[in-house]
Amino acid sequence: MARKRGRGMAASWYGIARTATVDRAGAWVEIDDGGTAKVITGVTEIGEGILTVLAQIAAQEVGIRPEDVTIGDNDTARSPEAAHAGATRQTYMIGNVVALAARDARAKLDAVLAKEWNVDVGTIKAAGGEIWAEGTNHRIEMSEAVHLSKSRGVVPLGSGSFGTDTTGLAADDGAGRPWQAYVFGGQVAEVEVDTVTGEVQVLGIWAAHDVGRAVNPRGVEGQIEGGIVQAVGQALMEDYKTEKGQTTTPGFAKYILPTSLDVPKITSVIVEDPDPIGPLGVKGIGEPAMVPTIPAIMNAIYDAIGVRIMSLPATPEKVLSALREKRNRDEERARIVAE
Amino acid sequence: MPDLKIEATVNGRKVSKNVAPFARLLDFVRDDLNLTGTKEGCGAGECGTCSVFVDGVLVKSCLVPAAKAKGAKIETVEGLARSGELSVLQKAFHKTGASQCGYCIPGMVMAATAAIRSNPLVSDDEIKERLGGNICRCTGYSKIFEAVELARDVMNGARPATALQEEEVDEGQFIGANVRRLDAPSKVSGALRYAGDTVMPGMLHVAVLRSPHPHARIVSIDTSAAEALPGVEAVVTSADVPGVDGFGVFVHDQPVMAKGKVRYVGEAVAAVAAEDELTAKRAAALIKVVFEALPAIFDPDEAMKAGAPIVHDYAPDNVTKHIPIRKGDVEKALAECDLVIENTYETQQVEHAYLEPEAGLAWVDHDGVVTVLSPSQNITNHRHMLSRIIAKPINKVRFIMSPVGGGFGGKEDMIYQGMLALLAMKTGKPVRLVFTREESIATTAKRHPARIHYRSGFMRDGRLKAIALRMVSDGGAYGLSTEGVMRKAAILGAGPYDIQNLQVDTIGVYTNNTPSGAFRSFGALQTQFATETQMDIAAEKLGLDPFEIRRINMMRNGAITHTKQKLGSVSIGRVLDQLEKAAQWEKGAPAQRGDSRGDLGTDGARRACALDARFVEAPTKTMKSEVA
Ligand code: FES
Ligand code: FES
Repeated sequence: MARKRGRGMAASWYGIARTATVDRAGAWVEIDDGGTAKVITGVTEIGEGILTVLAQIAAQEVGIRPEDVTIGDNDTARSPEAAHAGATRQTYMIGNVVALAARDARAKLDAVLAKEWNVDVGTIKAAGGEIWAEGTNHRIEMSEAVHLSKSRGVVPLGSGSFGTDTTGLAADDGAGRPWQAYVFGGQVAEVEVDTVTGEVQVLGIWAAHDVGRAVNPRGVEGQIEGGIVQAVGQALMEDYKTEKGQTTTPGFAKYILPTSLDVPKITSVIVEDPDPIGPLGVKGIGEPAMVPTIPAIMNAIYDAIGVRIMSLPATPEKVLSALREKRNRDEERARIVAE
Repeated sequence: MPDLKIEATVNGRKVSKNVAPFARLLDFVRDDLNLTGTKEGCGAGECGTCSVFVDGVLVKSCLVPAAKAKGAKIETVEGLARSGELSVLQKAFHKTGASQCGYCIPGMVMAATAAIRSNPLVSDDEIKERLGGNICRCTGYSKIFEAVELARDVMNGARPATALQEEEVDEGQFIGANVRRLDAPSKVSGALRYAGDTVMPGMLHVAVLRSPHPHARIVSIDTSAAEALPGVEAVVTSADVPGVDGFGVFVHDQPVMAKGKVRYVGEAVAAVAAEDELTAKRAAALIKVVFEALPAIFDPDEAMKAGAPIVHDYAPDNVTKHIPIRKGDVEKALAECDLVIENTYETQQVEHAYLEPEAGLAWVDHDGVVTVLSPSQNITNHRHMLSRIIAKPINKVRFIMSPVGGGFGGKEDMIYQGMLALLAMKTGKPVRLVFTREESIATTAKRHPARIHYRSGFMRDGRLKAIALRMVSDGGAYGLSTEGVMRKAAILGAGPYDIQNLQVDTIGVYTNNTPSGAFRSFGALQTQFATETQMDIAAEKLGLDPFEIRRINMMRNGAITHTKQKLGSVSIGRVLDQLEKAAQWEKGAPAQRGDSRGDLGTDGARRACALDARFVEAPTKTMKSEVA
């Protein structure tokens, strides 16, 4: 049979936020007129879904709905430092700091209401646009609460700062505390290899990843799926080439990317081992998602056809030449045994 | 050549415009009609971001001359939600979370609209084929397929319209809920403007002159002919930098434009601002640069040898960064092992291939604040660097992060924002630069390629005793994120295992190749690929199931990491258990079980694509249910 199937797996781990340096981020939250909220951070969307994640966090912490949250300003002259959009740090650093800033804003609002209603501040709860004191009949709309607070001279405005307790690495042995949060993952790949053409198809990937706490499970899946398909590209086809420093893969006709026909079916398993340090328990998923994919695929290729591809990508040419070598080896062995 | 008059119906409205005779339909739609939902991802018919309907037929507008629009009915993504309400398909994209960076999404929506229009009962497989000409770099396509299937079903009544609505959320419990992406409506409708879609009154266009040499001394630069060209407002070179000319994520070794010498093909040498793009390009071609070729170096191992050409004077051995990690006594431990596995692994340079090519605008505002708007992944760091480069206080430098049409680390480097700032300062006008796809591929950072020499030693019971790992990586002409990538590759390289004896060295090296930089998974992908292959080989040789050998060696709660950090809770055990269960993994050593496995062809795997089989052979049946 020319088409052979196999399965392989791989495990992985990753660190969250900036490496071997102190990471930090700031945010402002104002509970605004109309019972809305303004969240000001220094980042915007790079596609990972951070704006929605931040709106969910702010909404839950303030007690309103995500659509009532406005996020600005991703502008160094208008917002506190958020540092960069990378290092799988957005949900961890910005998510946590927005929660802290939202809690700070709420504390100001709650203090006004507690005095007004003559209740203990700890009894005040808010959700979905309403705010109330537990065990009492006091319950008003958030818009009304903001109005009341302002009429008492208090703007419900909060700020937050979130930093990591991390260190650099020692120059001699690398000892150090590069991150305060780690995530772990594992993937299984199922492939089919055509031994005539050398073509590998990835049919299925099962991906289990610890994300701390999933703020938006569908968004986490999206990150896992996107990461896996990028890794499938690196595993099987993508190859930026230069000849004496000049690229020979200058466009998408030469630099081959995975398309809809190359995509495996992906089953994501979200594992939640909450981070004990940050206020939310969240960690991250952006980068870790693609770490185990390539070895899982290569191990599956071995399972299918008995050749180890140790030089990426596993193009049809490489697979065929590895198969030829294996055949020669096997024949040689058979010959020696026969003699 | 005289302009071309085009009268057409666009999204139901009659328009009449004079366009340049060489204009493409894409230019007509974007520049003349200001309908920027249609994107230019490649300009060569290969990505699908520019898809529009012409008389009901889906076309890639970058390949169609504007003249074809004469008298035609054009429909762009903006036309799909003309009533202000998203189409069913757009709502389905919103519901399933099918848009991430969003740059491919208008084109995807158009292609999917075409698929459903041509066949309301389009099959799942046909959907994949119909979207085959549209690249998405972010989503892995899965949620896009889900959206198209959902829209098809709702339109056919197979699923109720309520399936498009947001899932219910328990009383304010938004954390943990599948809240629909708030940015999705702006992406599925094409309303969101990325930097390259943004125009400012009086804006100039920028073109960059780039090095044709991998390594050469710049003898002279003569910009006079370029400056004399009508329509040109300014030319800048490194001589225009007023402050300290250097940027980078870890070492500031890269000048805004080549200074004294060029170090890779495609390095910026000069930049022109002119009233239109064509004039800027023409002017760039008129700049005369005299180069004196220098010996170049293209291989990182060769680059470290004595006598190799030196890329940066500060690093005479061409080493950008070496990260060592040491624990225990590796040689002694390896000598005591029952099994030592030694291999060499290689990984390639990879392009980020975000669908949005680099783009940015810069201007000097009324208070003299130099402002740059670009899809920068690190505005905080860029502000610091630019303030030194243009010698202005930090509050006179402002960076605005525009929506990023895919980054993956590739937009962390400040490779063009400096030129824009200089041109804005020199002309006093807003300037805009949009990279072509070719420019983006040839001149921006790649994933670090790696050569990894690996030895791991195991005891007969599967216990991993020692790892010696040495990775040499080509960082290319500039430092960018090489130092950080080497660090992450080293710290994480040996994998999530408890190992007493460790010797890891990761070495990033300067060469005259396209620079390598930050890329999602940042070095850890390269080293862990090698580690996980070694584990599989060991499992086979020791007759252990691959999950089992990992369980034997995995870090546990309270583990001490390779960098001697004590961890708290370690989730790898739970992750492996849940993975094994989800995949219905059949236990056994990885000894080429292949087709004899009992766990193949479950619901979690798609059918193999049989396109090639038509030409090679009849499809073989290996589905478990069919074999059984
Ligand atoms: S296909 Fe037209 S821009 Fe890519
Ligand atoms: S969402 Fe498709 S390219 Fe980013």
